[in-house]
Amino acid sequence: MAGILDVPKPRINCSMLSRFINRAVCFVGRVEKVHPSGKMFTVVDGESKTATVELNEPLEEELSGVVEVIGMVSNKGDIMASTYNTLREDRGVPFDLELYNEALKVIHDFPQHYPFQVAASG
Amino acid sequence: MPIKLTQGAVKALYNGTPVHNPVLQLMNIRRLTSSDSPRYRLAMSDGQHFLSAFLLATQLNHLAEEDLLVPNCVCLLKRTTTNTLSDGRQVVVVVEMEVLKSAEETGGKIGNPKPYSTDGKQASPHMVSSNTSEPASTSAAELPGPSGTNSNNSRGWGKKFTGKAPMTASPMKTSPMEESPMKTSPMKGSPMKTFPMKESPMKTSPMKGSPMKTSPMKGSPMKVSPMKATTSSPSAIPKVIPISNLNPYISKWTIRARVTNKSNIRNWSNSRGEGKLFSFEIVDESGEIKITAFNNEVDKFFSLVEQGKVYYISKATLKIANKQYTTLKNDYEMTLHAHSSIVPCEDTHDIPSMQCDFVPIGDLENRDKDAIIDIIGVCKSAEDVSRITTKNSREVSKRAINLIDTTGKVVTVTLWGEEAEKFDGSGQPVVAIKGARLSDFGGRSLSALFSSTVMVNPDLPEAFRLRVWYDKEGYAVDSQSLTETMSVSIGPKMNWKTLSDVKNENMGHGEKAEYFSCVATVVYMRKENCLYQACPSADCNKKVIDQQNGFYRCEKCNREFPSYKYRLLLSANLADFGDNQWVTCFQETAEVLLGRKAEELGQLRETDEAEFDEVFQKANFKTHIFKNRVKLETYNDESRVKVTVMEVLPVDHREYSRRLISNIQKLAC
Repeated sequence: MAGILDVPKPRINCSMLSRFINRAVCFVGRVEKVHPSGKMFTVVDGESKTATVELNEPLEEELSGVVEVIGMVSNKGDIMASTYNTLREDRGVPFDLELYNEALKVIHDFPQHYPFQVAASG
Repeated sequence: MPIKLTQGAVKALYNGTPVHNPVLQLMNIRRLTSSDSPRYRLAMSDGQHFLSAFLLATQLNHLAEEDLLVPNCVCLLKRTTTNTLSDGRQVVVVVEMEVLKSAEETGGKIGNPKPYSTDGKQASPHMVSSNTSEPASTSAAELPGPSGTNSNNSRGWGKKFTGKAPMTASPMKTSPMEESPMKTSPMKGSPMKTFPMKESPMKTSPMKGSPMKTSPMKGSPMKVSPMKATTSSPSAIPKVIPISNLNPYISKWTIRARVTNKSNIRNWSNSRGEGKLFSFEIVDESGEIKITAFNNEVDKFFSLVEQGKVYYISKATLKIANKQYTTLKNDYEMTLHAHSSIVPCEDTHDIPSMQCDFVPIGDLENRDKDAIIDIIGVCKSAEDVSRITTKNSREVSKRAINLIDTTGKVVTVTLWGEEAEKFDGSGQPVVAIKGARLSDFGGRSLSALFSSTVMVNPDLPEAFRLRVWYDKEGYAVDSQSLTETMSVSIGPKMNWKTLSDVKNENMGHGEKAEYFSCVATVVYMRKENCLYQACPSADCNKKVIDQQNGFYRCEKCNREFPSYKYRLLLSANLADFGDNQWVTCFQETAEVLLGRKAEELGQLRETDEAEFDEVFQKANFKTHIFKNRVKLETYNDESRVKVTVMEVLPVDHREYSRRLISNIQKLAC
């Protein structure tokens, strides 16, 4: 877990999953369905595509709304979550997933302006 | 082959009876030299009579100058016109003539023509035309209609008359005729005066062609008769000059033109006083000109002048046009004064009506902003009239209407004032506007100016075409509007800038203040001197002077008060990724930034300093949307660009993101 925090985690959506296999990513999406076991749930991204998130420990509470998941992309294209956090809908402006998707596209279209390296100190 | 003269032609012509292509022999030709342009008098014979009351139209002067008109030559008069002089004498002006046989060929005088006289007076050898005071009024009835060859054209009589009486308006039938004998000047009796009539080539509109040059009749042996002094009576039709000839240096003139555009009465009040004015534009075949009436003349003429009608106008002041207030193509403009005369004219079919140059709506994008153009379209929809307050605190009505034309494009036109209130868009009327200003507000839109003319369902061919098109297909056309409907910002589109733009673009350096919006973060606020003691009266925010006796004096209200109110005047530094900028925030905007009311802060400063500082700490490094006003200001010889915050709004991240993304996409193309 500690390892993943030191590494740059590009933000991606479903269509980019295949490009980031075995890499640490940050995925933002809306929770669709939680598996009864609580160890897995599906998320929908800004393009309405679905991805699966797997957890190490089962969920303790009900999960809903938009979540941000940090983890590794498995060979199958699922996200092995290390950590997640919920973007609360009852506070502030509701998260605009479509707009976020647009921003994602810009970031990936212009990697020269949005480098994913860890900033060099100094 | 002996050529045959048209006998009886002389008599007929003199009496104004139409004669078709009479053949006459030239007995004598004499040049009249009282002015720079020569005029030739002819004595013509038809074998029976001869008459020297023939005048050669100036466009035929070349015939005389080229020596084609030699006595005894035979001519075919293709076109003539017979005019009556004020004393009743007739003169036959030869407008078109052909020399059939030269003098040599003819040999000599044909026949034995007697001098033709109307009153029996013997013609003198000097070719005096017969009469003096004979009021041989060719009654109007004898004069043929305009279509005939003898259509009346007495405009030819002109300027200087030495030894000649000025001609009065003769009782010619004028209504169907366009022409008119000229206006008399009040000459009392003395026939000798040369009075300087002003210069202008008389325009003869229905006459095909000939602008007859006015001729001096000097030395004309027409016997002078004591002139009746006549001023132009209302029934007299004045001599008319074309608008294009008007200039400030001609002393007497009359024009006949149609009113194309009449403005409303406008009152003004400035440091020099107040007054009212109205203006109108007129057009004739030669051009257009603007006429303004002030104060008393407004009362006199406003109700008389009606748009679309034709008037004779004379005696007004000509001056160089103030192009700032008009778009007409004329170097001059006219001002009416107490002696000005405006007389309705019945006969109008020659004067063009509104000269409009309509721009298709689809073409508006190609025109420059601020251009003045004419537009016509079907009013697809019209909003309700609304009242808004202008920057000068004046209330004015406004209404936006949408016009569509055959290009399928729609544009929004803004009407103001009375026109906005009166406008009725029901039934999709055809609306034509002359002199609207094109703006780039919302892409492309139009605004009616004070000087614009708005016509609903005008009597123009383009209007009919539009009506037909709209009723058949136009109503269903899925139109594309050139004026984008307001989405986010109310009022003018927010002018988004970054703080570095302010310096790079030298914003505020022009004469007018500039307004812009930006997203920026507060990085510093001056808490010292952010509060001041202000006059407690409502609406007065002037700083009061502490009299030290428990009273505070306000200079503006000229009163002393036992108290004051705290007001904020905050100096803050804003920053974004590119640059920073010192700005001034007044009460309202400062209160938003600090999240506290001025009074509270005032109290806090006195009581709890720590909390007072805390307020500023918390407000620091907050990001907002700032709507600002930037202007170059001079204070004691020093000029600085000052930025004032007009409004502080919370950042709408979604809107901001959308804007950024769209800017990126635009840059990426």
